[in-house]
Amino acid sequence: MTALAPVLAIEGLKTYIHLKRGVVRAVDGVDLTVGAGETLGLVGESGSGKSMTGLSILRLLPKGAGKIVAGSIRLDGEELTTLPEKVLARDVRGRRVAMIAQDPMTSLNPVFSIGDQVSGPFRYHGGLPRQEARAAAIDVLQRVRIPSPEKRLGDYPHQFSGGQRQRIVTAMAIGRGPRLLIADEPTTALDVTIQAQMIALLRRLQQESGAGIILITHDLGVAASLCNRIAVMYAGRIVETGPVREVFRNPAHPYTRALLAAIPKLGSRGRRLVAIPGQPPSLIDPPAGCRFAARCPLKVSACDAYPQTTAVGPNHSVACWRAGEAV
Amino acid sequence: MWRFVLRRAGNGAVSILGASLVIFMVSRLSGDPITLMMPPDAPPQAIEAMRVALGLDRPLWTQYWIFITNALTGDFGTSYRWQQPALNLVLDRLPATVELAVAALLFSVSVAVPLGVLSAVYRGGWVDRLGRILAMLGQAMPNFWVGLMLILVFAVGFGWLPAFGRGGPEHLILPAIALGWYPVAAQMRIVRSGMLDVLESDYIRLSRALGTPERLLVWKYAFRNAAVPLLTMLGVYFAAMLGGAFIVEVIFAWPGIGRMVVEAVFARDFPVVQAGVLFSSILFVMSNLLVDISYGIVDPRIRND
Repeated sequence: MTALAPVLAIEGLKTYIHLKRGVVRAVDGVDLTVGAGETLGLVGESGSGKSMTGLSILRLLPKGAGKIVAGSIRLDGEELTTLPEKVLARDVRGRRVAMIAQDPMTSLNPVFSIGDQVSGPFRYHGGLPRQEARAAAIDVLQRVRIPSPEKRLGDYPHQFSGGQRQRIVTAMAIGRGPRLLIADEPTTALDVTIQAQMIALLRRLQQESGAGIILITHDLGVAASLCNRIAVMYAGRIVETGPVREVFRNPAHPYTRALLAAIPKLGSRGRRLVAIPGQPPSLIDPPAGCRFAARCPLKVSACDAYPQTTAVGPNHSVACWRAGEAV
Repeated sequence: MWRFVLRRAGNGAVSILGASLVIFMVSRLSGDPITLMMPPDAPPQAIEAMRVALGLDRPLWTQYWIFITNALTGDFGTSYRWQQPALNLVLDRLPATVELAVAALLFSVSVAVPLGVLSAVYRGGWVDRLGRILAMLGQAMPNFWVGLMLILVFAVGFGWLPAFGRGGPEHLILPAIALGWYPVAAQMRIVRSGMLDVLESDYIRLSRALGTPERLLVWKYAFRNAAVPLLTMLGVYFAAMLGGAFIVEVIFAWPGIGRMVVEAVFARDFPVVQAGVLFSSILFVMSNLLVDISYGIVDPRIRND
């Protein structure tokens, strides 16, 4: 799948957030690609920079504070980082790249009807007249399996359940047939059965549309069930990337291994939960070497320099000095 | 929705009844109207005859009962001073009061909303700073002073607008500004803080991420959310403008209810006071009812309760 020209190619992306207490290097040299029809899982703990990577693509960083300082983001070969804001807003956001928001309970405008919100994108930058936008909204709501959408266009968000709202949010995202979907924790706020439905929905939508998906999540289970490939992010950098089975079976980075070990298993009741000792480093003044070194059981003196990325299998690479011996 | 409106209207009727009781009792605490109506050397028999003629010799409860039952048939009594039905006096003045209050409200909203929205969108920019200065000035200048300054500059100085009286639309401009000036600051601040909250919300971020043009995002999708607290405030200010425009009415010789009621209080002209205050409270309740209904229009979550 990666042999095809990628929909999205990010190289050396650095996104810094300028705060009063210093510059936070939220994304600090990230490379990744997403192919058509491919789902890339971007996993990592809170604050690892995965959401900031997603927001950098759409350039929706904190106003005045967040800035892309280096690197390139290419969408179907077109450079996005140098695109003027106006063009980006008109041609990219919602049209070629769309976002599925995290919390369905707060992501819909409470005082506008679903019909208005779902048909909005068709009208305002699809240029469709009202009636056609309405028909398009009904169509896309049908695709996300909202029952009898034509009767529900006049209803407001509070009249829908959490799972339905997430479907509506998804409908808003897929409406204009984007090439790339950024799904930021799309299942986190849902309960487990609804999560499963949502995963099935995303999978089906992808098969229908062939869009690339970046699934941002901290839930390895969700990543495993949806993704073709995963990229593990730690302290602003990607430490390991590879096909999902490969990474889960043969994790090469000590952090990935620790993450997988931290998942509670059936039958482990009564035993202590496994945790990774220590804290991620501050991103205001991160260490020059490997950022996981301070918490790493395999640390050696070489780890004082940042490890080069090495291949440990087909499409499977890792940034660790001891990757070769550890596998 | 209709049940909601009916319930509010019922509550309003109770409020009006309560207001009528209070004003009936309180106005009678101000003294005996007969002593103002009769010459100081009038014989006691004549005073007593007058009191009986006006029904003021009966117990208070009986007087109130007569007032209420008559009021329900539209009879508010006859003005002691003008010898005309009190209701007619009030109804003559009602349009002027409503006209002034509506104009003042329109003025304050049309200044406060754009300033508040732009202050939030360009937070810390020059509109925001200008708005803050205006807000401070607005709160610091009482409306009698604003009224006098407006007359001095635009009526006396430039001679562009009439200084007093009621007539064509040009007569309305200065009093409306004088009355609507003060609430601008508070309205602007509530719009600004509401917009700041809403612009940070998940749904506006998502809408922006999906490419909604910024202008629509601000003026349509964000503003309607920020309008709910503004509506509450408008209800209060509109009611205050309907009932409390006395000072502005005096400065601009505006023939409104406020001025008439105050004059009637000084004359102890009970029927006019009662009719005037009762109409003010009806207007007050109606403006609150309008606010409640507009909540339902703006925010669907209220409509369905």
